Amino acid sequence: MKALDQSSQQYRRLWWLASRGFAAVVIVLLITAILTTPGGLQNFFNGLAIGGVYAIFALGYTLIFSILRIINFAHGAIFTLGAYFTYFLTGSAVGFNGLLANQKLPFGLPFPLAMLSGGILAGLCGIAIERVAFRPLRAKGADPLLTLVSSLGVAVAIVNIIQLMVGAEIYAYPRNPFGEMPAALNLGTFGGLSQRPIIIRTTQVIIFVVSMVIVVLLTYFINGTKTGKALRAVAEDATTSSLLGINTNRLILITFFVSGLVGGIAGTLVGLSVNVSGPYFGINFGLKGLAVIVLGGLGDIPGAVVGGLVIGVAEAFVPSQQVAYKDAIAFAVLFLVLLLRPQGLLGRAVVQKV
Amino acid sequence: MEGFLSTYGAAIVQMALAGVLALSMYLPLMAGQLSLASPGFYAVGGYVAALLSTKVFTGYPNGEYPIPLIVLEMGIAGVIAAFFALIVGIPALRLRGIYLALATIAFVEVLRIFALNQDELGGAVGIYNIPQPFFSATRIEYLVLALPLLVGAALFVARLERSRVGRAFVALREDELAASAMGIFPTYYKVLAFTLGAVLAGMAGALNAHILNTWNARQGTFDLAILILAYVLVGGSRTFLGPIIGAAFLVALPEIILREVAGLPGLNPVIATFLRDGRLILFGVLIAISVFFFPYGLITPSLLKSRRKKTPAEHIEPAKATPKVSGGEL
Amino acid sequence: MSNVVFSKRLSVFLLVVALALLPSTLFAQTQEEPIVIGVAVAQTSNVALLGQEQVIGAQIAEKFFNERGGINGRPFRLAFADTSGDEAGAINAFQTLINRENVVGILGPTLSQQAFAADPIADQAGVPVIAPSNTARGIPQIGRFIFRVSAPVAIVAPNAVKQAIKQNPNIKRVAVFYAQNDAFSVSETGTFQQTVKDLGLELLDVQTFQTTDTDFTTQITNVLPLEPDLVIISGLAADGGNLVRQLRELGYTGTIIGGNGLNTANIFPVCQALCDGILIAQAYSYQYESEINNAFREAYKKLQDKEPPQFSAQAFAGIQVFVEALSKLDKRKPLKDMDLKTLRAELREEIMSGKYDTPLGPISFIEVKKEDGTPAGGEIVQEQFYVAQIRMNPDGKTGRFVFVD
Repeated sequence: MKALDQSSQQYRRLWWLASRGFAAVVIVLLITAILTTPGGLQNFFNGLAIGGVYAIFALGYTLIFSILRIINFAHGAIFTLGAYFTYFLTGSAVGFNGLLANQKLPFGLPFPLAMLSGGILAGLCGIAIERVAFRPLRAKGADPLLTLVSSLGVAVAIVNIIQLMVGAEIYAYPRNPFGEMPAALNLGTFGGLSQRPIIIRTTQVIIFVVSMVIVVLLTYFINGTKTGKALRAVAEDATTSSLLGINTNRLILITFFVSGLVGGIAGTLVGLSVNVSGPYFGINFGLKGLAVIVLGGLGDIPGAVVGGLVIGVAEAFVPSQQVAYKDAIAFAVLFLVLLLRPQGLLGRAVVQKV
Repeated sequence: MEGFLSTYGAAIVQMALAGVLALSMYLPLMAGQLSLASPGFYAVGGYVAALLSTKVFTGYPNGEYPIPLIVLEMGIAGVIAAFFALIVGIPALRLRGIYLALATIAFVEVLRIFALNQDELGGAVGIYNIPQPFFSATRIEYLVLALPLLVGAALFVARLERSRVGRAFVALREDELAASAMGIFPTYYKVLAFTLGAVLAGMAGALNAHILNTWNARQGTFDLAILILAYVLVGGSRTFLGPIIGAAFLVALPEIILREVAGLPGLNPVIATFLRDGRLILFGVLIAISVFFFPYGLITPSLLKSRRKKTPAEHIEPAKATPKVSGGEL
Repeated sequence: MSNVVFSKRLSVFLLVVALALLPSTLFAQTQEEPIVIGVAVAQTSNVALLGQEQVIGAQIAEKFFNERGGINGRPFRLAFADTSGDEAGAINAFQTLINRENVVGILGPTLSQQAFAADPIADQAGVPVIAPSNTARGIPQIGRFIFRVSAPVAIVAPNAVKQAIKQNPNIKRVAVFYAQNDAFSVSETGTFQQTVKDLGLELLDVQTFQTTDTDFTTQITNVLPLEPDLVIISGLAADGGNLVRQLRELGYTGTIIGGNGLNTANIFPVCQALCDGILIAQAYSYQYESEINNAFREAYKKLQDKEPPQFSAQAFAGIQVFVEALSKLDKRKPLKDMDLKTLRAELREEIMSGKYDTPLGPISFIEVKKEDGTPAGGEIVQEQFYVAQIRMNPDGKTGRFVFVD
């Protein structure tokens, strides 16, 4: 038995070395590629911009996983709901289809306020979903896999409620809701590192910055506040923490609220960049979102951002002749990463409990 | 009855095929592996049949395509799916729980995009005019093939459950470490379960290419994977009957709400309209509710036992508090 | 958890299902019904944006022609069946319409891929189908009973490119974008690319995307350094609109041609003021002056407060073809004297031989042949194609298509 332990330890050390070496080689190759290919730096920034969208989608997704160790399939629907709520809170009218055709609110909020309120409403929907689809199963001690199905059911219901109410049309926010801004920023050539001036869309910069801010806030919330500490205790061991007098259900409600809030704001921001394309708006990000949070290490909040950016940058570097294979390449890379580092990019190896 | 069959012929055949797909996901789940790869093998199977019947076995007038050739196509599709399963399964089955689920989904997605980019596979339009074995507008005749496939798959899985291999699967699901200590080689049995599932999915795809008359990259996607998972879990993941019933139930449900419940005479028109336009809302809510009321699925081993009283208790009872479906964490 | 409770619940569950399964044909009424025309389009799923427009067009036609006396005084009714977005759904919808609703013909389905699955069923049952929006190659070739009012784009695309050159004779360098997962866009881009070569322009680059994509920065920043002065886009409203918007935001100033998929006011909210100036290849223009189009346009505007899109117009035209063919047939052989099977077969012949003055302009059908030379369905013969230019209003939210050709 001891010999076995030793050899597996050696094996693990070898594996560790190999994977670190691999990571280093990849990083060096990437930097070289960025700087030597024409338009490489531009692609890099494109990748960050796309990755920002993936990251901001994934943040609320991964938060719930970090506490409950379950996947909330309804997150895409919450994201969509947030975008729609903001649209209506700005006082814009429903289109001509659906039960609420041509209705609008008697008031209109300024955009930033509407976005925040839309996020709060999405957060409340998150709470409702927890009460309907998650808590009953948790109370029964059912297999976590079942919550995947019940949250899927909720997602299907929400998407179709949206369509029944407001139709399938495309909704768009007013331009320049944050005041007059140029559509794109010219970042110059970075002291000659890039042959051409690098341009990037302003909304994408906003998304990137906001996702960074959300990460910092969430990290502070989890690590720096009392609630956050309690949350971590729940994540660690729900039974013990409830014995210690922590109100587990209340904390989980808070988690769902924060996740919905972040998801709703994310939906609004992404909608600002690419418009709200219909009831399936957020659902369409679900698959990539799942990839992002797994790549980042499930439940790892900074990891979700890293995962999003890595996938974004990887996609941006697919050569233009192969752009049709872009998603395939992203998932092929994901497959390989899973095999090499199943604990995620930032995660530490988890030793199988015996 | 004739009107019923001609209206629901295609839906009934799809219920049977959904049952086969559900079994294809149930098999790896028996061994504790949450694999979402079934749609990938299903897509492969469909393309195999579409190519064979439009490019290789040509020359048969429409409506007279020989049924044995379809069976042959299904066989070839199963073999090719098994080949894919070995390539993907051997590395991927090192992973557990959600990681395995995601790796298998990555495989499905890579296949889909690859298919979309092959001119031989018809690109976005896909392959169409797949020859038909019947002069039929109802598609109900396809039960001749779909039902034996479903029954065969069900009998096979039922036999498997009682065999040594099946018990090895269950042992792996319950406790992999203990199982391997007892001399069960985990990788072998996991890959076996995964490959058997792939064969079923590939055969279902091959048959469905004929039923749908066309095959394209929209068949076999992430959405289908999640739907099949719902079939299995709503139906029950502890006995082979569960996935079959779950699939039949969930495929039929929206159709029934749409065409029967909403059409009942004397129904308030507002409610009828809601049932028609909002049937998917109801569908979603029912899925969510059903896992609450039936956390072990609609069909459980204990339910079956209470029906046929004297069956020996060969099934492992689900644990009281936390029935485990998947091997890993989720 | 006792088994008794469990099985009780299950029994209730199964009972509900069994009750629901009772065919409602048991309760069917036998009174004389109006003629029924089926509409099988995508009312749910992520294709619903298109299906929704088709439903509106068909409903306007139902009201419009019934007010004008229906089929020689006998009213008709539309039976809707949702195909959702997939092939199996289209088959189910067709079967319901054919066997349950006893329709004389079907308008649908929304996607070409669905048509390849569902149309053979109608063809075998001998039920005429008019496709309102299937543009892929091979649709009328599926069978004798299959027609379409949606023109494939071979004629209209070249006109748009010529128009662009007319507006700016210096155009030389062309970049092409197309949605790779959309059957229509794939066939359209082929025509566009051929035209570019035929006209002696330089095809710099071809970039692909998916209709579900939202971010096109990578494709755009790949193309912009090549300094194109004409960009041609084949896609649908949401993706095409976003592509236009991002092209402009990233600094592209040259001409943009949008394919027929962008021929909808749905792109106005997407690219807003940046839509201005796009040249659009159209199979339908709401500005087409004719009695029927003016009536359709007015009815649509009353309902939706905007100009009618092509998808609605094509659905309207499809219903119109059914109604006019039925009326003509009725005069020749009274409909009430025929059983359903004969009626459907006669209707097929009548549709094929007729000429129709629709909102799309005058149309008729030409019988095509299958690969083996046997006769198949009817391909549309359409005279009017248009090239329009988008002009956005100062508010940046509303706009219009202005004829340029």
